[in-house]
Amino acid sequence: MTEKAIIFDAGTLISLSMTGLLNLLIDLKKSFSGKFLITKEVKKEVIDNPLNIQRFELEALQVQRLLNNKIIELPESLGISEKEITTKAEELMNIANSTFSQGTEFIHLIDMGETSCIALSKILRDKKIENLIAVDERTLRLLCEKPENLKELFKKKLHTKINYKKENLIYFKEFKIIRSCELIYLAYKKGFTELKGRNSLNAYVNALKFKGCSISREEIDEITKLG
Amino acid sequence: MIEVKHVLDVLKKTKKAIETNNTFELKNLSNQTIHSSSIQQDSDNISIAVTIYALGKIFERVNFRSLKGWDNFYSITIKSLNNSISALEKNNIEEFRNHFQFIAKAINKISGKLKDYITQVFEKARINKASRIYEHGISLGKTAELLGVNLYDLSTYAGNTGISEVPLTKTMNAKSRIKLTEDFFK
Repeated sequence: MTEKAIIFDAGTLISLSMTGLLNLLIDLKKSFSGKFLITKEVKKEVIDNPLNIQRFELEALQVQRLLNNKIIELPESLGISEKEITTKAEELMNIANSTFSQGTEFIHLIDMGETSCIALSKILRDKKIENLIAVDERTLRLLCEKPENLKELFKKKLHTKINYKKENLIYFKEFKIIRSCELIYLAYKKGFTELKGRNSLNAYVNALKFKGCSISREEIDEITKLG
Repeated sequence: MIEVKHVLDVLKKTKKAIETNNTFELKNLSNQTIHSSSIQQDSDNISIAVTIYALGKIFERVNFRSLKGWDNFYSITIKSLNNSISALEKNNIEEFRNHFQFIAKAINKISGKLKDYITQVFEKARINKASRIYEHGISLGKTAELLGVNLYDLSTYAGNTGISEVPLTKTMNAKSRIKLTEDFFK
């Protein structure tokens, strides 16, 4: 019985594949007593669509190979149907996208790919399967961990008053989020990375940042010191 | 839904900026539509932001002007802007939409190197505007969907901006998130 899972959003797999670090997931999987999962929506974003774009075909094929080799798996492997995820995702997406507003206009925050990850997380939690979501982009993380910062960000960027329904936020609490940089830190600590030494850890995390992992230079310094 | 008065003002200034070769002003004008694009997320506002930004990039490349097809592109752009302005003055959104879209479609009226260059500028403009909307707080997936760009392009572009340096983005200290990850693998 699988009791743990890590759910990957598209951005995390993109950062890892664009930096050539995707294969570290193979070693990490071996040291993990659970499953690495992607939803159908995320598969579409990282494999199906880019397979038709020459510039990203290689990255798409590399992620596809992980799927073919069962390093990452679809939720069906745990008996969770696409329909169940889609239904829950639509429900959560509607709530998320009607939480923040400017005047009478709601701000549509997130798409189906991202929402499918939290929907799957919720379904797994209900089945008592402990899980983390690996998300490199910042909006979903802000919504789940510090929605007040998201409100401030909107206010600052849009130069206007932002309202939010506090009662909606309860749906996004308790999701546990990590990023590609924490996974690579772990791979480094476990000795899976090709390059060793703090300089290399710093370089790995910087490389992820430049491919879309939302991490600040201050955080990179903190991670490097821990390494 | 576009704010007619605001868009009309932006388009008039855009035309003037093109005629006076003020590419800096074009960039500013494009940014003025980003706030409304982030909130309303409608195709008109997004199209205006992308097209004006692309025009700024196209007109700043002086070498484009000596390429075959430039005169045709220039006249289509000015004519489309004039027609878009007239349509908005009559409050005819549908007619505005048709005329404004013609600027991006002008690519099909030219050929050779200029066509390739302008096509690339419009593609990059979409990614740039997507990144700006992401910067405003909309998720990466949602902005990619809105602008019709792929996530690989957008992630890389956004990763090279200062978006993740914004202090509000930090939600947990690095040590705690590392611990969360390490504990999960035990």
